[in-house]
Amino acid sequence: MHYRTRRTLQMPASADRTQPAATAAPSPPAIAREPESALRGLARRVGVIFGVPAAIVIILVILPSVLSPLPLLDVQSAVGLALFACATNLLVGYGGLVSFGQGAFYGTGAYVIALAWLHLHMSFWISFICAPFAGAAMAVAIGLVALRTRRLYFALLTLAFSQLVFVIAQQQVSFTGGANGVFGPMLPSFLINPDNAYYFTLGVAVLALLALYKITRSPFGMTLKAIRENPERAEALGVNVFRQQLLAFVFAGALCALAGGLFVVYDQSANPNLLSWTESGYPIFMAVIGGQFSFLGPALGALIYEQSRDVVLAQFSDSQLVFGLLLLLIVLAAPDGVLGRLTRGFALLARRWRAARPGRPGGPGPESAPRDAAHETAESER
Amino acid sequence: MTAGALLQISGLTRQFGGFAAVQDVDVSVWPATIHSVIGPNGAGKTTFFRLLTGILRPSRGTVTFDGHDITGARPHVISRRGLAQSFQITNVFPRLTALESVQIAILARRRRSLDFASLHQRRVTAEASGLLKEVGLHQVADAQAQTLSHGDQRILEVTLALATSPRLLLLDEPTAGMSPFETERMVSLVTRLAKEHGLTVLLSEHDMDVVFGISDEITVLHRGRVVTHGPPEQVEADKDVIEVYLGGEE
Repeated sequence: MHYRTRRTLQMPASADRTQPAATAAPSPPAIAREPESALRGLARRVGVIFGVPAAIVIILVILPSVLSPLPLLDVQSAVGLALFACATNLLVGYGGLVSFGQGAFYGTGAYVIALAWLHLHMSFWISFICAPFAGAAMAVAIGLVALRTRRLYFALLTLAFSQLVFVIAQQQVSFTGGANGVFGPMLPSFLINPDNAYYFTLGVAVLALLALYKITRSPFGMTLKAIRENPERAEALGVNVFRQQLLAFVFAGALCALAGGLFVVYDQSANPNLLSWTESGYPIFMAVIGGQFSFLGPALGALIYEQSRDVVLAQFSDSQLVFGLLLLLIVLAAPDGVLGRLTRGFALLARRWRAARPGRPGGPGPESAPRDAAHETAESER
Repeated sequence: MTAGALLQISGLTRQFGGFAAVQDVDVSVWPATIHSVIGPNGAGKTTFFRLLTGILRPSRGTVTFDGHDITGARPHVISRRGLAQSFQITNVFPRLTALESVQIAILARRRRSLDFASLHQRRVTAEASGLLKEVGLHQVADAQAQTLSHGDQRILEVTLALATSPRLLLLDEPTAGMSPFETERMVSLVTRLAKEHGLTVLLSEHDMDVVFGISDEITVLHRGRVVTHGPPEQVEADKDVIEVYLGGEE
């Protein structure tokens, strides 16, 4: 498993060096730097921020022509879970809101499509579009109550609500199919083709993640981070903390439901387990493993989890124990997750490499070194 | 007598169980003045400030700011009315940079905290940079708040309050824990800002040199009650004040 993990992780890095073209992606509105250091730094940052993700997307796009259908299905599942994990991380990592009930929204997304097919014979495309709105509506209802509380109580309330939805789905047998859930040929013919299903999943996830990224960089996202850092201070500055967090909760709920819709594309079913508290734990697990302070950390966590799951299941009788130990190791040894560690490692390497090249004009003088260090920490610890 | 006061506090009382931390306090703060609240430890200064900013709700009494009753209103509502505060314990956003922190305050003032688009970002950034330059923090604009020196954090704290464009600035012990050099820097900053922005300042302070140096008006609190108030010369000569500070239990 370790070997696999490492290989997965090196993929984006080596690809980055061979993909300078990818840096042409649009740059984010630069949060002001002093102009003299800006140009080189900006190019480097754009390279890191957009180069690596663009390279990953390119690899994911050419994957179907390399992989056979079965492993491809694993990757497709990982892509859907990556969206689930990143959406949850808007709350956990950016908002400091540890919700243990995101499974409720994930499952709702899947159930909306399955039930609309079962009872209304609705077209998949329409119900797929409805799924995030259903997630958002449910998030408004749950958020209005849960966000009145803080920390542990918030976590417990979100957990309680998700269990409520879980029990309802399990017990309304005539409507939801009970513990068996709903399964059947609910996909349109276009998505029966494995490659189409894969590309559809990838396209939806990439678009949703781009929107999510944009949001984390917007005034909304910045203020959300400020609330995580210090809610009292934010409120004293005139920020309506409750409204800000409610909107984040609704947004995360909608995207989790969208990820639930992608689960239907993967599995053609909806079942109560999607709503359960263990399901709610996965995105948090993935965020912690991958790195909750990096935007794509949870996505990496999803990939690691999905790829290592089969191996672990085959090798060990108790897979949960192995994942539990892994989680413990990460929390104790690398609280910023695998991606956090990697980013820091690369930054260190890059600095050494620059320092090792003597006589380079504009090299890191005594003045620019501390500024660089502060910059790096600010970047990685979002 | 009270007409024209920017902040009018009457009969303000806050009980914690049977203990009255603040009791029947009347204070009028006049526009464009620097008004200090002093008193020994435990006199109720911090409780008094928390009542004004909405962190605590008063048990009795009223707070009128600029003609509006703000008694017991929520903190963000009070802040939007133009009453901004800086905290006694350094209270910044530890892992945001100084520049980002000030941007948050400006966004809140412009009611842009919920914006998903970043259309106005450039203007907000420019304004934030300008403010940091004005208070002398522009060189550490990109450093995380938690990495700043204590003095710089305190100044950032005041800058955050300032960024909301307040009419009244509440400073709870702005020089607490500062070196003499940092104190000097803070005092000159506060007096300069008050003058340039036409700000009204209400502050609590331990350092008597600071208080008597910059205040137009002083209120002395002891055991939750007002002992005396008036201009510095008058308070300095007051027998009760000498009693509180020298004969008291401290």
